[in-house]
Amino acid sequence: MSGHSNWPEWIYVGVVVSLLVYVGAEAWNVERLVEHTPAEAEVIKVVGQQWFWTFEHADGTKEVGELHLKKGQPYKFEITAKDVNHAFNIHDYVILQDAVVGRINTAWFVPDKAGEYPIQCREYCGLLHYNMRGTLIVEE
Amino acid sequence: MVLELQKPRPIWQIMFSTHHTDVGLLYVITSIAFFFMGGALALGIRAELFLPGAQIITDSMTFNRMFTVHGTTLIFLFLLPFASAVGNYFVPIMIRYKDMAYPKLNAIAFWMIPPGGALIWLGFADFSWYATPPYSAIRAPGPAADMWIFGLKILGVSSVLGAINFIVTILKCKHPDLPLSKVPLLAWSFLTSSMIVLVAIPSFAAALVMLLTDRLGVTGFFDPAKGGDPIAYQHLFWFTFHPEVYVLVIPAIGMMYEIIPRFSRKPIFSHSSGVFAFVVLSIVSFSSWAHHMYATGMSFTEKTVFMIGTLAAVPASGMHVFNFVATMWGARIKFATPMMWSVGGIALFFSAGAGGVANAAMPFDFITHDSYWVVGHFHLFVMGTIAFGSIGFLYYMFPYITGRMYNETAGKIHFIMSFVGTVMVFFTQHVLGLYGMPRRVFDYQPYPEYIIMNQIASVGAMIIGASMLLWLINMIYSAGKGKEANMDDPWGLGGKYYFPYQAKNPHH
Amino acid sequence: MDKTIALMSILTILIVLPTIQLVFAATDAHEYINRKVEIWNLFFKMMTIAFTVGAVVSGTLIWLVWRFRESHPNAKPTKYEGTEW
Repeated sequence: MSGHSNWPEWIYVGVVVSLLVYVGAEAWNVERLVEHTPAEAEVIKVVGQQWFWTFEHADGTKEVGELHLKKGQPYKFEITAKDVNHAFNIHDYVILQDAVVGRINTAWFVPDKAGEYPIQCREYCGLLHYNMRGTLIVEE
Repeated sequence: MVLELQKPRPIWQIMFSTHHTDVGLLYVITSIAFFFMGGALALGIRAELFLPGAQIITDSMTFNRMFTVHGTTLIFLFLLPFASAVGNYFVPIMIRYKDMAYPKLNAIAFWMIPPGGALIWLGFADFSWYATPPYSAIRAPGPAADMWIFGLKILGVSSVLGAINFIVTILKCKHPDLPLSKVPLLAWSFLTSSMIVLVAIPSFAAALVMLLTDRLGVTGFFDPAKGGDPIAYQHLFWFTFHPEVYVLVIPAIGMMYEIIPRFSRKPIFSHSSGVFAFVVLSIVSFSSWAHHMYATGMSFTEKTVFMIGTLAAVPASGMHVFNFVATMWGARIKFATPMMWSVGGIALFFSAGAGGVANAAMPFDFITHDSYWVVGHFHLFVMGTIAFGSIGFLYYMFPYITGRMYNETAGKIHFIMSFVGTVMVFFTQHVLGLYGMPRRVFDYQPYPEYIIMNQIASVGAMIIGASMLLWLINMIYSAGKGKEANMDDPWGLGGKYYFPYQAKNPHH
Repeated sequence: MDKTIALMSILTILIVLPTIQLVFAATDAHEYINRKVEIWNLFFKMMTIAFTVGAVVSGTLIWLVWRFRESHPNAKPTKYEGTEW
């Protein structure tokens, strides 16, 4: 308060600010990369409702609870909800987007490995929220 | 304060008193009672999650109601009233005035809390503490949900009244010889956090009324079927409740600003940088609310703006940590119980802040949003920082309130067990989040990683529970039968204390 | 003041704008980025920073607590003890 010098504090604040600038710049760059959806990505319509997921492929075929995709092909999810809010999540591919009634949110990815991956709901949606699961099956 | 237990008074005299120390005592007792009630729910939740599948709680609806009431209780009925308790005791003394500016308003603000708490507990709503529509508007079962809305409405008004009282007391009633720049940092923390309350609460107050009319079916503000927008609610909600985080954390830091110099036997390193950091925090707290909503389909630009707004809060928080470290540097520190809680709180405050910086980075949200990472992150704030600061401060106030000393050994065991437990529960929950476990789930898939992590967390929670029980016993026993405290210097530190018990109570 | 403005404008034109262009031009590349790799890499970078800073902060705190405790052999009264501070 009185008399003593504050320069160590300002150096410290400077270090903190520069670390934050670095984190912010890195995050900005990665976000920019992952948000740039390729034009040829195949659209999959995703609908969440209490308490299951429905998927509609570009050719009109529908699936409930299971989603079959091909390896190496870019896909774009168009995610919405019918009754209350949900969140569409494939944790292994770091896909997460809220399913909001009356809105279409998008996320895109390229499956790079064949196998089965869990799909789950990450937004509280009532009684069976914990059990609102599905399976992503990636085929060769 | 007034040595209630040494000079017994009929209970109604305390209950109907408007004196700031009496109201402060009521706040302390109420908030600690709710702390144990909310904590009991947390232990129930952790016990259920010890193993996958249903064990103790048989249906998911009960579980959903439990975590909703757990969160609502500990935020609105423990942390906020406890801060008000400390403010009531210390602010008038620190600014050298006989009472709060509006004593009757003060008592009214307190007496709104029991009915608010009763509505929340008797209703036992299920829509989680942030009540997102459309679920809360069209599906959540009543009357629990409506009772929750009314309860929160009452608690919101109570905290606005309390905030007005603190602001007027500090700005208008402080002693003419005391310039604002010399007001102690604990009082400054109440000034800044009350300012935040005044600006922040109205948007949620409006959202609550809109939610209620939506539930009654007369409007459709948040119901897409009637042309409403559920995202609007989230904006209104977080515009209140992101700043509210700072409303909770700023008084806790203020409490550490009282304890750390006292037990270091040294004035605070820089009073002015503490004030500066409080003021900066209270302003930037309004620049980050939508970082809770990255996943709702926000544009890249919006996300960038709110990421920068979020990161802007970090330097000011860091200045507080620097201030504490610099105060302890070159000191002669007595590690009595309050000091241990404060230093532990600073360590966990840093961990919580580092997790917060990671959360602010927008792509990282795809991993952590609504996962257990978030649960671990904010609990490090509310438990690790705010509750630690508050519990330490209650130990600090204890001799002033009761005239007796708590048991020091039991206090230290309490701290060590709680610290270990907190690390076990909340650090583990960060890792659970990275494995992708969603929050607010009654059951989880039986993956071995999930099971082991949940078990570590549950054991940690039980350790915290046991230590809190020890605390309760220590408090009750020492209040009646403890050693008499040396009221001039309970810890043998020298220096100038703020003596709450010297406040003049007209009943004495 | 005028000179500063002029200098800043020249710097902007020469350095900042080409950089921005370069950054955005990169998005037109025709190889798909791997979403999870990008995001997890960012996570590990941030954790490296967080744990380094955390080691410094907690190390400082532990040292402070150890060195300036009352019972340390070198502990000496602060100059404020016994005064009204």
